[in-house]
Amino acid sequence: MVIHQTPGSKVVAPLRDAPAVAGHTGGISARMSERRTTGAASTAGSSAGDARTALWLMAPALALYATFTLLPIAATFWLSFNSSAGFNTSASFVGFDNYAKAAQDPIVWKSLVHTFLWLAYHVVMAGGLGLLLALAVSRLRITQVFFRTAFFLPHLVSLAVVGVIWANIYDPFFGLLNTALTRIGLGAFTQGWLSDPALVLFSVNVASSWQGFGLYMLLFIAGLQNIDRSLYDAAEVDGANAFQKLIYVTLPGLREVTTFVVSLAMINGLKGFATVFVMTNGGPFYQSELITTYIYRLAFQSQNHGLAAVLCILLSLLAITITILFNRWRARLSQ
Amino acid sequence: MSVRNREWPVALALAPALILILAPFVWLVVSSFKTEAEIGQADPFTWPADLMWRNYLDAWQIGGFGGLVGNSLINLIGVVLLSLITCAPAGYALAKIRFPGREWLFYAFILGLTVPVQAIVIPLYQVLFGLNLINTLTGIVLVQVSNGIPFGIFLMRSFFIGVPDDLIEAAKIDGASHLQILTKVFLPISTPAVQALVIISALSTWNDFFLPLIVLISPEVQTLPLGLVRFASTYASDYRLVFSGTVISFLPIILLYILMQRRFTEGLTQGAIKG
Repeated sequence: MVIHQTPGSKVVAPLRDAPAVAGHTGGISARMSERRTTGAASTAGSSAGDARTALWLMAPALALYATFTLLPIAATFWLSFNSSAGFNTSASFVGFDNYAKAAQDPIVWKSLVHTFLWLAYHVVMAGGLGLLLALAVSRLRITQVFFRTAFFLPHLVSLAVVGVIWANIYDPFFGLLNTALTRIGLGAFTQGWLSDPALVLFSVNVASSWQGFGLYMLLFIAGLQNIDRSLYDAAEVDGANAFQKLIYVTLPGLREVTTFVVSLAMINGLKGFATVFVMTNGGPFYQSELITTYIYRLAFQSQNHGLAAVLCILLSLLAITITILFNRWRARLSQ
Repeated sequence: MSVRNREWPVALALAPALILILAPFVWLVVSSFKTEAEIGQADPFTWPADLMWRNYLDAWQIGGFGGLVGNSLINLIGVVLLSLITCAPAGYALAKIRFPGREWLFYAFILGLTVPVQAIVIPLYQVLFGLNLINTLTGIVLVQVSNGIPFGIFLMRSFFIGVPDDLIEAAKIDGASHLQILTKVFLPISTPAVQALVIISALSTWNDFFLPLIVLISPEVQTLPLGLVRFASTYASDYRLVFSGTVISFLPIILLYILMQRRFTEGLTQGAIKG
């Protein structure tokens, strides 16, 4: 058995044995520790022939990945230090000029603030709804599949289609929201949901969160099923009521899934683009502009590639930071 | 613990939530059968006097939905097949063969798993342009496969790692090559992983908007979400067309899910847990 001893492997190794919901964004350290401690997973003894075979097996994936992912990552970095007036134009090295320009651009700061707000709305609304519904749905036996299936339906719809759906729901004159409010006598609450600068980011986020909560609900349900039944029996013997069982057994048992869902929701929020692009295109007055929509505007409409590349770097750094922070948190939780 | 006495109170308490969450679908489907005048009454609680199937006929023809659905299907099949062809062998190599540089590749894939695709879009466009792949379905397939490769590889790898090495040794004694071991031994016993990869890549491809927006410029090559957005902004004031076009865009995937919900749920949670 070959164990790759790497500094820090001891810190993250316990994750492997935890019933962790490791995934897309959250499971990276779990994966790494798993690889380190199960070095023997690879068949012992590497020969030159094995190395060649491995290369052939990796080749199709690597060719695509190098061309359409790794090269663009490197090129984005390069672009951020060059000035370019658009596609098919020559670029010249300008050092940190683009970074300085980004720092002075008020829309960059606006889009950054909006992105953080957007993340917070999404985590609270989609994550929170997912948790509440999971707690309720997992109590059901006979109708569980029905409710789980029904609540999951919005997640199947493309965010672009969701944008079209909710743009119609928010339509001031014929949309579901204002017409329903008027009909049930709450006409005073009708709003210009997408035209009010103070409301627009929240309104659009409701659409994204409506689409997003279903997956978080499924993950929470899976997490609830992993909680040891005997803990509930023990709590009952101690005379705990339903609320105490929730506080002392269920929620602690969900800690790991919760960190995973929060990190997934944050990353999903960071990538948010389609609903804003479809419903408001960042408006009115940039009040729903996100980093992603501003990148699109700079790259494909105003052809300011240097500034766009700086925002791309910023977006990547945010994603990497969130991923690392949550992996640390998860590692500490499982100690 | 009695099950029955808490089943119906909980189900009853969930009913209002269910109605609120599904209201957008119901409202759109009902409204899509109304006449322009009925929509103009702005009353969401009335039913259409007659079912206006005509709305669907008009939307289908004007929006060119036949072509959009066709493009989306080609797109989906291409991505699913190519993802399997690229991710299964690579996942196997990372899980079961030790070779120099494996560590580096691992980190390179983690990088791609973390960096959002929006953050590399400018060079991505330039690469596609250089390869003459802008405005082609080939182009969108290659980019989407590449975008999904880190996730697909880690998914396959985490499943393959659990397969005992004895199986490989036994097959090697029988004279099998690594490729034969992968296709004859590993893939047949990896149905859950393959199922998760197929469902997740199919769903994300079918629903993708950002990459098609960059790559697919003319209407003849566009996919369903992109085509609907174009259609809805062109005919924004023609509500009956927008409503029925939107229903056309979400109904097929929802019906498919209801028919296969067990496989979908398994695939999606497996994918999230193992990925």
